[in-house]
Amino acid sequence: MEPTDIRKAIEAVIFISDQPVTVDKLMQVFTELERADIKRHLKELIEEWAGYGRGFRLEEVAGGYQFRTDPVHADFIASFNKKVRKFRLSRAALEVIAIIAYKQPVTKVEVESIRGVDSSGVINALLERRILEIKGRKEVIGKPFLYGTTEEFLEVFGLKSLNDLPTLKEIDDISKNLDPGISQTPEALAE
Amino acid sequence: MNGNAGHEAESMQTREPCLVKVQLFEGPLDLLLHLIKKNEVDIYDIPIAAITEQYIEYLEFMKDLDLQVVGEYLVIAAELSLIKSRMLLPKPVIEEDETDPRAELVRRLIEYQKYKDAASDLIERPILGRDVFKRDFDGSEALVEEEVELVPVSLWALIETFREFYNRRSHLWTEDIVYKVESVTLEEKIHEIMTRLRQRHTLKFTEFLDDCSSRFDLVLTFLAILELARSENIRITQEAHAGDIIISHHTGENELGAY
Repeated sequence: MEPTDIRKAIEAVIFISDQPVTVDKLMQVFTELERADIKRHLKELIEEWAGYGRGFRLEEVAGGYQFRTDPVHADFIASFNKKVRKFRLSRAALEVIAIIAYKQPVTKVEVESIRGVDSSGVINALLERRILEIKGRKEVIGKPFLYGTTEEFLEVFGLKSLNDLPTLKEIDDISKNLDPGISQTPEALAE
Repeated sequence: MNGNAGHEAESMQTREPCLVKVQLFEGPLDLLLHLIKKNEVDIYDIPIAAITEQYIEYLEFMKDLDLQVVGEYLVIAAELSLIKSRMLLPKPVIEEDETDPRAELVRRLIEYQKYKDAASDLIERPILGRDVFKRDFDGSEALVEEEVELVPVSLWALIETFREFYNRRSHLWTEDIVYKVESVTLEEKIHEIMTRLRQRHTLKFTEFLDDCSSRFDLVLTFLAILELARSENIRITQEAHAGDIIISHHTGENELGAY
């Protein structure tokens, strides 16, 4: 098989899938290819599709590869299919997702101590939507569940992996106004 | 709840319109951050007495609206009072290692703000199912998962949202404007709402309120929605976990007459 034909075949496999297609999965299909070869083809495919400037493109999300539409077409897609525009997350849900995404694995009590409010309902709803999952139990009294984010979380928010999360911003501008009489950093304040 | 609804509605009418600007908060820390921002004070040097007073004022206001002031708000209120009293205590000897009574609260506020910011960053991303779409999204099981759970709306959630709007807008409308030009009747309002719902099928409660140009219009819209719900021409639901209140066109048979 010519390299360009292989690339087309990889593209075809990704095209028919509704899940992000991982390199591992592609290796099971294209047995004669090395991991590095597949990655090279994928990189070229991403560049090719981006270069065409089409209504959709190939993107790396949730540890795999997926064809996705350009965000500028969101309104047309929504009016084409009314059912499609179902995505909604409350502010409470987003706060819980943010805390769990950055601090995972984390217990409900830890989430609640940051938010200052009961978060059971929100966590349960997010578990049902498979944005969150139970990662295990914490070895403390009561053995509470530890929560973390799922592949679906990465897919919904268009993240390649958890490392792709933006680094948490420190509140620098406020820290500068810090009264030296109290302390120097938020961390020192905590002690 | 239906039992005292009449009584509550009555007291709503007779009570002076409260001019406090209401916002719905995610919790006591959210409220505190809001007060700190509003007063433009340094988070590391919070004027505890003033902030505590405003905080408690807000809780009183929630009580006035018959909203349940949840325990979490009271815990922070108690904490604020404790910090306030500690700050008032005379310090005969100034010790080097003496910590500021506010330190722990400040740490919590900063921690919370950090994740609030992270949450706003997340929602800015191109979201699957909102901004970007994948193949076979329609009809796949993913669609079912994306579905928002709708729960029956409580009367209080409806009133709370209405009052929030009413109070937010009240500063825009001065008392001495006489609404001579307001000739819209309840019936006309009802037809207007139904026309919009026939086009869009579902709309947020707040979208209707947003378009109101006057106090009169706002009240009329609210009454029209209540009437349409009573006559089963519309259905009022709420997204689970205190989400948006959704008004949808009730397509079923309605015995009480269609508009």
